[in-house]
Amino acid sequence: MADFRVAKIGVLLASAVAAVGLSGCVRPPSDRTPDGRIIVDYWEKWTGFEGEAMQAVVDDFNRSQNRIFVRKLTVSQIDRKMMLATAGGNPPDVAGLWSFNIPVYAEKGALTPLNRYLEEAGITADDYIPVFWELCSHEGFVWALPSTPATLALHWNKKMFREAGLDPEQPPRSIAELDRMAEQITLVVVERNGKKVKVHFSDLTEEEKRSKKFDIIQLGFVPTEPGWWNPMWGYWFGAGLWNGKDRITADSPENIEAFRWFQSYPKKYGLENLRRFGASFGNFASPQNPFLSGKVAMELQGVWMYNFIDKYAPQLEWGAAPFPAAHTDQFPYVTIAECDVLVIPRGARHVKEAFEFIRYVNTQPAMEKLCMGQRKFSPLSRMSEDFIRNHPNPYIKIFIEMARSPYVRTVPQTPIWMVLGDEMNAAVDRIFSLIETPAQALRTVQKRVQLRFDRERERWLKIRERRIAEWRGL
Amino acid sequence: MTRREWRNLGIGLAFISPWIIGFLAFTLYPALASIYYSFCDYDVFSRPVWVGLLNYRDMFTDKVFWKSLYNTFYYTIFSLPLCLVVSLLIAVMLNQQIKARPVFRTVYFLPSLVPMVASAMIWLWILNGKYGILNYLLGLLGIQGPDWLADEKWTKPSLILMSVWGVGGSMVIYLAALQDVPRELYESAVIDGASAWQKFFHITIPMISPVIYFNLIMGIIGALQVFAQPYIMFGGGGPNRSALFYAVYLYQNAFDYYEMGFASAMAWVLFIIIFFLTWVATKTTRRHIYYAGE
Amino acid sequence: MKERYYGRTVARFVLYTVLLAGSLVFLLPLAWMISTALKPIEQTMSMPPTWIPYRYFAEIDGRRMPVKKGETITEPSYVIYDSLLARRFVVPQSQVREGKLIRHDISGEIEEIPVRILEEIPASAQNPWVRVFPEKRISGREAKDQWWVVPVARLTRKVAPRWENFINAIRAMKYFPLYLKNTLILCFLTVIGTVFSSSLAAYGFSRIQWRGRNKVFLVALATMMIPFPVVMVPIYCMFRWLGWIGTLRPLWVGSFFAGAFNVFLLRQFFMTIPKDLSDAARIDGCSELRIYWQIMLPLCRPALMVVALFQFMFTWNDFLGPLIYLTDQKTFTLALGLQFFQSQHGGTEWHYLMAASTLVTLPIIVLFFFTQKTFIEGISMTGLKG
Repeated sequence: MADFRVAKIGVLLASAVAAVGLSGCVRPPSDRTPDGRIIVDYWEKWTGFEGEAMQAVVDDFNRSQNRIFVRKLTVSQIDRKMMLATAGGNPPDVAGLWSFNIPVYAEKGALTPLNRYLEEAGITADDYIPVFWELCSHEGFVWALPSTPATLALHWNKKMFREAGLDPEQPPRSIAELDRMAEQITLVVVERNGKKVKVHFSDLTEEEKRSKKFDIIQLGFVPTEPGWWNPMWGYWFGAGLWNGKDRITADSPENIEAFRWFQSYPKKYGLENLRRFGASFGNFASPQNPFLSGKVAMELQGVWMYNFIDKYAPQLEWGAAPFPAAHTDQFPYVTIAECDVLVIPRGARHVKEAFEFIRYVNTQPAMEKLCMGQRKFSPLSRMSEDFIRNHPNPYIKIFIEMARSPYVRTVPQTPIWMVLGDEMNAAVDRIFSLIETPAQALRTVQKRVQLRFDRERERWLKIRERRIAEWRGL
Repeated sequence: MTRREWRNLGIGLAFISPWIIGFLAFTLYPALASIYYSFCDYDVFSRPVWVGLLNYRDMFTDKVFWKSLYNTFYYTIFSLPLCLVVSLLIAVMLNQQIKARPVFRTVYFLPSLVPMVASAMIWLWILNGKYGILNYLLGLLGIQGPDWLADEKWTKPSLILMSVWGVGGSMVIYLAALQDVPRELYESAVIDGASAWQKFFHITIPMISPVIYFNLIMGIIGALQVFAQPYIMFGGGGPNRSALFYAVYLYQNAFDYYEMGFASAMAWVLFIIIFFLTWVATKTTRRHIYYAGE
Repeated sequence: MKERYYGRTVARFVLYTVLLAGSLVFLLPLAWMISTALKPIEQTMSMPPTWIPYRYFAEIDGRRMPVKKGETITEPSYVIYDSLLARRFVVPQSQVREGKLIRHDISGEIEEIPVRILEEIPASAQNPWVRVFPEKRISGREAKDQWWVVPVARLTRKVAPRWENFINAIRAMKYFPLYLKNTLILCFLTVIGTVFSSSLAAYGFSRIQWRGRNKVFLVALATMMIPFPVVMVPIYCMFRWLGWIGTLRPLWVGSFFAGAFNVFLLRQFFMTIPKDLSDAARIDGCSELRIYWQIMLPLCRPALMVVALFQFMFTWNDFLGPLIYLTDQKTFTLALGLQFFQSQHGGTEWHYLMAASTLVTLPIIVLFFFTQKTFIEGISMTGLKG
């Protein structure tokens, strides 16, 4: 019998090792400050002055009460790292993502729905500019609250307008006018009688335009600069990319029309000419940025552009106005709204405390402090007079007006956007490079993405009920 | 059973209990769970939801899946025979009466010791399109080397080349087997007037056939699961996904896209493929394998 | 007789030639790694490549000083001074006419820039010159003036491995000491775990007669067929449930539960030990555990060494495990840390990357040289018993 006992000891030895490992995880990690405040871990992507603006709000929150202490950490590649940590079961309590992450992460189950907490706090859609509330919602649940919003506008260089003989205070009022103005501003070098001369594109002879034998040295407009919203150009022609339910609409007549316009640029100015000119563009965040250095006169850009103008080209004479639509008899302009958001990852240890912080950020004074610090506008429906009056961006009102207008659009609020966006960008490349006609390229996108979408929709419909029941219980 | 038998059973089980626990926790339970997951939509964040055969259907209609399978088979079909032959060839040469055999053996074995991450780095550098030494050496021979890592036609051959570099392990196994072949067999063959080729095919190969079989099976299992090198060298799969291998795509599905159900389904398909190929290899070679004991 | 002897000599010659050539091919990548690890960055990118890291010296202002090579000049050129940019340039003589540099600007127009010629360089394809930069900055000169043009023939060189690359690579990898520590901790724990758990299980499978033993052993063998990806996801979920993701635990705990392959190896070895030994001990009243501990383990030391060695190698090299379970850079192992470094800085600092790779490879090779016999025996054993 002695044998039995001793052998058992050997077994215990092995299991003891596992126990040692286990005991390590039972010990709760320290989540309190020395003075007993609950630590809320908050991951954010911002650096520089944007990060400082958020830090100031965090400091205010930490001073405003003595129960919770928010610890802000700057994290690069935040969407990937948050997913990794959440999958590993050790997520932060609050994370700052982008609004386009929400549909994917919500359906994946990586986020905590906020409905219950919003109800308790009495926060409703009425408190926000509608588009930003929408950006935070998916499948009837609210997954985030906005931090700082943005809309897009036409930014134009007044000096270049003046030099081309245009009224510097009068930006284009339709796409057709934009095209005409762009031709007038565009400056090319062309060989005439063996001598090189600089002329405006509009002054070229038909023959010279056809031959494309010129070098561009300044450009009125090109839809690929900066090119961050290329898939959405259809919006300005009344198109969408998704019908909101079951169909992708990449190859709708409106989209085809939009990309015909898009393709008219390489056709008009010459693909090689545009490429050669584009090679001289510097980094976005540098004085060599083509808009900041006066190489391109008009651009579709977000509210943040002011910061870069202020930093790299303070002497630039510029204006911002709604980017006009193609058929202005139907609607005058279009803007795209985006938003930085605060979410609570699923499995966060201090959901209540995390929400308290998010709620604080979304009070009017804190939000205005944050958005002023980042030179953006507030996503809240109520904005103080002082906020607009003191805002350094002289055009801030335009951005707010656009956000409130019925002409504001967003990227498709569906997980398929990740695929659709990539496919659209690939198609846009082929269209711009004159490899395919818009109809061909868009039809390929339509076919591929619709197939993928149908498959994922079927999967989603199979699990939707279970997921929603689960979310209700959270 | 007698009391003594009961006692022995108890002691025996007690001794193997580390294995039993490990078997239950790290093999049996995970294997069963993975079968279950393969029929579920599961993303680790929330509970798995049963979706039937959806993962399998999506997998078989997924072009990327087929591409990864194609890449993996391509790699296996070229790398496996090449490695088997090269390692056997080296072993046979080293088995001759030569001077400095231990030195040669060490030299050929050394590369297989290099950690996979380090060897991936070394080859990234050697195959570099601009400053790589390989293309320079090819240039000396008057050959314009391809851009190994950026040209989709050459990514898989690059990895096959690397696999040949690491044949040291199987070479040593062959060598040990060759040294066990009784000398008398060769001596009597010489008396019968057998040529070197005849000796090789009629004595050497049959005598070491169990080891060839072992290396073959290990090679199949290893090649189909190749992960570290392609993952390190080509990240998401290289140009036009030409170096996206099965195990890499499986990893991506599990830990980049959090499609654990899909990944589990892929894993089971891999298991079936490995099982099937091993079975075929066993069936077709069984008649030719010579076991000394039988 | 003579002919035969002759034929044999030729065969020998061919054999040795092939073996030597093969050896060169097999060693080349390692040699290239070490060579690159010892070079300064500009020599890693020189064409044609050099095998030996050099330090170049040039005679400048009557002093011999170490320099780095820049671009080679193969046509007659001038060193000119552009007063607009306040900089010196090297330009071909064909571009300079009457004190003016002639070139095309962006829009294709011809620009004429007035310049001052400082120096004439009679370079040609046969007599190339080269731009050189001092290895250490010369104080009292502006950064843009830290270069000269000298004839290639006048450069002298000395073999000079840059050992400091290793120190710099360790610094550049940021957490190298932590990576090493984590790897060693894991190696230590997994070796201990594997040796004890698999020898215990092997003892139970070989030295004790119990009912159903062979059937259970067959199950153990069958588990070797299951590829890791099959169990990967559920094991990950299990460790997640335990809250162990991001810690080292998932990487070593498993080794305390006897992997089938090691059990199999040790069992084969245990079986070769005569039964009488343990029977005698049993009659003396020894418990099974004491027989295992005091008789079997000492006798099986060579086999245990093999298992320990293989486990060490496996843990040192393992990439997929750390990739899945480790999320924080401070918990990375060497293998994962090296890959992380490459993915961050890949494509430029090849000398550091090769230095780091050498550091990861070297311990294994040293280990191999000290345990060569065990190693080779171990590998042959796995093959033969398969």
